[in-house]
Amino acid sequence: MSLSRTRTGALLATPAILYMLVFFVVPSLILFAYSFWSSASYRIVPDFQFENYLGSLASPVFWKVTFNAIRIGLFTAAITLILSIPVGYYLVYVSRSQTILYLILITWFSSYLVRIYAWRTLLGTSGVLNTVLLQFGVIDHPVSAFLFSPFAVTITLVHIYLPFCILLVVSSLSEIKRDLVDAARDLGTSSIGAFFKVIAPNAANGLVGAFMLTFILVAGDYVTPQMLGGSSGQTTGLLIADQFRKTGNWPLGAAQAFLMFGVSIILYVVITVLGRATGLIVKRRAKTEREI
Amino acid sequence: MTNPKTIIEIRDGKKVFGNFTALTDINLSIRQGEILTLLGPSGCGKTTLMRLIAGFETLTSGTVSIDGSDCAGTPPERRPVNMVFQRYALFPHLDVFENVAFGLKVKGMSKAEVKERVNRMLHIVQLDNFANRYIDEISGGQSQRVALARALVNGPKVLLLDEPLAALDLKIRQHMLAEMKRVHTETGATFVYVTHDQDEAMILSDRVVLMEKGRIVQIDRPEDMYARPKSLFAAKFLGETNLFDATVSAVNGIGTTAVTPAGIPFLGAETADRHVSERITVSIRPESLSFQGGETAAQSAEGTVEDVVFIGSRSFYTVRLDDQSPVRVQVQRNGRLALPSIGDRTRVYWDSANIVMLPHT
Repeated sequence: MSLSRTRTGALLATPAILYMLVFFVVPSLILFAYSFWSSASYRIVPDFQFENYLGSLASPVFWKVTFNAIRIGLFTAAITLILSIPVGYYLVYVSRSQTILYLILITWFSSYLVRIYAWRTLLGTSGVLNTVLLQFGVIDHPVSAFLFSPFAVTITLVHIYLPFCILLVVSSLSEIKRDLVDAARDLGTSSIGAFFKVIAPNAANGLVGAFMLTFILVAGDYVTPQMLGGSSGQTTGLLIADQFRKTGNWPLGAAQAFLMFGVSIILYVVITVLGRATGLIVKRRAKTEREI
Repeated sequence: MTNPKTIIEIRDGKKVFGNFTALTDINLSIRQGEILTLLGPSGCGKTTLMRLIAGFETLTSGTVSIDGSDCAGTPPERRPVNMVFQRYALFPHLDVFENVAFGLKVKGMSKAEVKERVNRMLHIVQLDNFANRYIDEISGGQSQRVALARALVNGPKVLLLDEPLAALDLKIRQHMLAEMKRVHTETGATFVYVTHDQDEAMILSDRVVLMEKGRIVQIDRPEDMYARPKSLFAAKFLGETNLFDATVSAVNGIGTTAVTPAGIPFLGAETADRHVSERITVSIRPESLSFQGGETAAQSAEGTVEDVVFIGSRSFYTVRLDDQSPVRVQVQRNGRLALPSIGDRTRVYWDSANIVMLPHT
């Protein structure tokens, strides 16, 4: 039996597509329907209204936690990407070692929660940081501000998402042949110049993708902000989770989830447009403009 | 020019990667304006040698100087040479014009001058109408010419070409060879050309540097290297040849006589450095053998025609000599001479001038 390429492709993709349909698309649609329903005393009432959306959009609390989530997301994703690029560059163009890549991924072998508690221990009042600073006489009593601060949240989130971001950066840089770097240097650029003039423009889409994926994961992460951020760790994720877990207002939670989804898409568009406007992302001329 | 200036000079070059010696005993002077080919099988070190000149590699010991100045420690971006990469390495985010303009813009040249220079170069490589195409919108041959233009527009003292035609199919390759020669004439640049293809080397070069296992084995004009290879490797690598193991039986004022174990005598014109009972290898090109004897083709051996292959105006004969060694004979077919057929007994003739005696290895 021989199958055409398209049919073979379809056949190979079917299990994953079915899985996503059943366990992601359908639940999402149900959630979407929920978001227009209302809730009364822990029960969901199937009617059709926009109050969940309008109420959230008008709520200062919603915007406060959303901005907090976006701020944490953008800040963490930016730091993570900036740290990932040199590592990715080293792995793709200098060492070509798989071992180092595996070493980077080893941190994933430890549990997410364990790492969060590890940071709590490190940053706590009797933690390593305070002890060292006390020993050196930099401070005379333990500083409690290390923990339960945006600083603690960022440092932990960067630590957690860095390997993931490195992986994305490595895969986007791998598309760009070493020859291009050599060619740029041959034509007079330094190796740093070659990175900005040749690698960055060609990898831009992949790097923006890495940034956005990291952003989405970080902005949606409500465990780390909650456990290390204290009152500064209130994010949309936590707000949404609370609607489901505590207040039992599923329709409101669903609406807020879709609002967050919309905000992420808007941010992606804004970043892409900004990138193109500043020339960081190379935009090709349209075909018609090309014929001069 | 009788005594052209030396533009690149490599002295006692040696390059070691880990425990692998990529190049050793490299002594090479490249003359201004010539097309010099680095020829050799893959792994012979030719690309490493070129990358050393470009600055992508540094010598373990020895010196490279470009235009009189030692360039140890000079990074590629500050060397007055440019390179055409094997897979072109054109920038996919830029169009043809911007690719060619890249080097000039990096140097901070004015917009007007960049435009003028790039357009002139695009004209030379006949891509005037392709300036605004992206790299994935042009053919392999066109990419090749963009790569050539992108390097040459910078006015390099030496243009380095790393197997630039390897990725093209045969027909375009021949066209590009002619193109490359034309561009060389028009720009007057010095070309250093890396290839494993002996035909490209023969067609293009003023001089060929033949390399084997990290060493330069011979530097010569292509015709001299073909006619007078200095080693068995050179004889085999350039063109086709018939080889016979033989032992020198006499050396005198006229030449050297060597005899194969089966008793076929070869009288060669050379006398230098040979001594009686030395073991050598005799090389005769197929086109130097014929079925007609004469004053210039006085030596011969007898055998049986085993196979005939016709290639247009030429025919290749395989003749099994009586000592069982097969020889290849190439003859021009002009219809006047009677040629043997398969199975015929025949006599194969040659001239002492076409015998090359090589050290036995």
